[in-house]
Amino acid sequence: MHESSSNAAAGTLLGTSRRRRRFTAQGAVPYGLILPVLVVIGVILGYPLYWLVKLSTQRYGLFELIRHQGVSIGLHNYSSVLHDGVFWRTLLRTVVFTAANVTLTMVLGMLLALLLVRVSTVVRVLLTSGLVLVWSMPVVVAVQVWYWMTNFENGVVNYVLSQLGISDLQHDWYATTFSQLAIVTLLIVWGALPFVVITLYAGLAQVPPDLVEAAEVDGARSWRIFLDITLPILRPILLILTSLSIIWDFGVFTQPYLLIGQSKITSGNYLMSIYLFEEGYFKSDFGRGAAISILMLLMVAVLSIVYVRKMVRIGDEP
Amino acid sequence: MKRRSIVALSLVLVLAAAVTAATMASTKKATASSITVWLQVDAQSGWPDLVAAANKQFQSDHPGVTVNVQYQTWGTHLQKFDTTLAGGGGPDVIEMGNTEMTKYMAAGAFSALNKSSFDNSSNWLKGLAASGAYGGKTYGVPYYAGSRVVTYRSDLYKAAGIKKLPATTAEYAADAQKLLAKNKAKGFSPVYIAGTDWYVAMGFVFDYGGGIAQQISGKWKGLLSSPKSIAGLTAYKNFYLATSRASKTTDETHPNPYDVYAQGQAASIVGPSWFSCCVGKQYTADTAQFVMPGHVKGQAMPGFLGGSDLAVPVTSSNVALASDWIKDFTSTSGERGLQAKGNIPNATNLLGSSVNERAASRSWFVPTAKHWVDVENGNILRNMLAQILTGKLSIKQAAASAGDNIASVLNQS
Repeated sequence: MHESSSNAAAGTLLGTSRRRRRFTAQGAVPYGLILPVLVVIGVILGYPLYWLVKLSTQRYGLFELIRHQGVSIGLHNYSSVLHDGVFWRTLLRTVVFTAANVTLTMVLGMLLALLLVRVSTVVRVLLTSGLVLVWSMPVVVAVQVWYWMTNFENGVVNYVLSQLGISDLQHDWYATTFSQLAIVTLLIVWGALPFVVITLYAGLAQVPPDLVEAAEVDGARSWRIFLDITLPILRPILLILTSLSIIWDFGVFTQPYLLIGQSKITSGNYLMSIYLFEEGYFKSDFGRGAAISILMLLMVAVLSIVYVRKMVRIGDEP
Repeated sequence: MKRRSIVALSLVLVLAAAVTAATMASTKKATASSITVWLQVDAQSGWPDLVAAANKQFQSDHPGVTVNVQYQTWGTHLQKFDTTLAGGGGPDVIEMGNTEMTKYMAAGAFSALNKSSFDNSSNWLKGLAASGAYGGKTYGVPYYAGSRVVTYRSDLYKAAGIKKLPATTAEYAADAQKLLAKNKAKGFSPVYIAGTDWYVAMGFVFDYGGGIAQQISGKWKGLLSSPKSIAGLTAYKNFYLATSRASKTTDETHPNPYDVYAQGQAASIVGPSWFSCCVGKQYTADTAQFVMPGHVKGQAMPGFLGGSDLAVPVTSSNVALASDWIKDFTSTSGERGLQAKGNIPNATNLLGSSVNERAASRSWFVPTAKHWVDVENGNILRNMLAQILTGKLSIKQAAASAGDNIASVLNQS
């Protein structure tokens, strides 16, 4: 259904542009106007990208770094990464991690947004202020706070748990990979919620109250109303938020790297971005690091197709 | 009209700013310059006065040259350094751990220095001097060495009825039980050792005659799964479980052992002797040190002989000034100062008989391989220790997998 509508939209777009394709002096003006932007994008995005691709086809270690001169080795870096078992295990771990993070973010975000609509103004203001405070906290500071809370010796989490009599012993929250990534997930979801909740809340304002009222008169329960009225209206927003979250969570680095801590990072708990950092920087193998980042870039590009297509479609709507 | 004059005025201003900036830059280069020194935070917390003294000496020899000392942490300084090698703006002097030197010397990251221009260079400690030499040239100037000792609370020992310092690891563990009986606070460690503190753990391995890796006819072979190494790892596990309430997965800087000690949560800590700097005011009077005993009576536990070198990166355009600063910092008086803070000075003619220097009598060092630093950064040993202590893997399994890992990293081209 969506496919056909988007094709139709593309068709009209093509049609109009064909009709307008006249290279008069006036027709060149728009191109002249976007030229500065294209130049800026070319310089700040294109040039580094060109170097990244070039670097990924070179042997570029510490020796080459000092001489600013790499040795071309074709696609060897790519084949070495793709034949690395660690790469595939890391990819699988990252996909599962991303799925868990995005699902939690979207479900909790939706629930909180629905809650915001129903609570009194005072509560709403309080809740929104809390969310904005979370949003405004720099990531590194947030990591430090979470690190303190889950600290082994003096962490407040262990203290509260022992006061409640749940666990009398000091619990090591970073003992297993699962536990490490679970704490990181909590931190990321906590930090991602404000944006999602506030955006969805704004989206909920678009739901016409008379439509809901009509459904209620017809005897629809709230779950039905949510499924058949609220959700379809929110769909474009949900799609964009989900694809953005996927892109962000797939490449997340700061939270896992700082919270787990360098001395606990091993190939057994890598996420993609950490794998890239360890292979590229710690082992001073910048060519291989570049190859990994190109592969990550391709994966994110595939993921963002949904997002871009949606954006284009929204742009087309009259 | 008006708009045009505004445009002209702003153009003039921009030009003027550019010209001023250019002249400022050129005068800066022509007359006075500054040098940037990267030291580890150890100097910042342990001996900032010695750094200040070296700067003072340097500035009286080179008036107008400022010294910009920037403190780095061990975990991140190499990444920062790599970045400056690629992009410039790096330090003129950098402190390097002795295990980190080989990889960088092999890649040509440092300028060769004139060995004879430094104080006591003919008597430099062998191990340290070797870590800064490559292909017959000197790239690193020994800064200081440190062995590992036990820093302990004499008041708690007395209260627990311990009359004599332990002569073997077993006695030390028995004392720990007495201390535990007297100090029942939750989380109190008779001997605080971070679970993945591989410097302590490998001491047990070497004490039992084991090792980390060995080069046999050009190829590195892991030694951790040898029976002697397994015996050492088993002894470490038992000692740790009996004495330490630290996290089994944490390292020796999260938290710093001396912070745990200063909070009254440890009767003793194992680490560099300068740990005595930061044990907390209330415990300073009751703090003393002894040499960590080995499992055989009369033998010290082999301690990691850590140390630092000072080097001048090839990216520095002030090699002569940088070399002069190193000379001032590692002068005889500077080294005496480091010794007074509990470190081992860089030359044999300066050695005394402190507990630290006695502990150095039996020491071990990491395999001198180009890729050793990758083993450290890859946390292979830490991961093995965490697996052993948490019981995730048996000692044999964990040691075998770590040994294979280490061999494959060291044998990279």
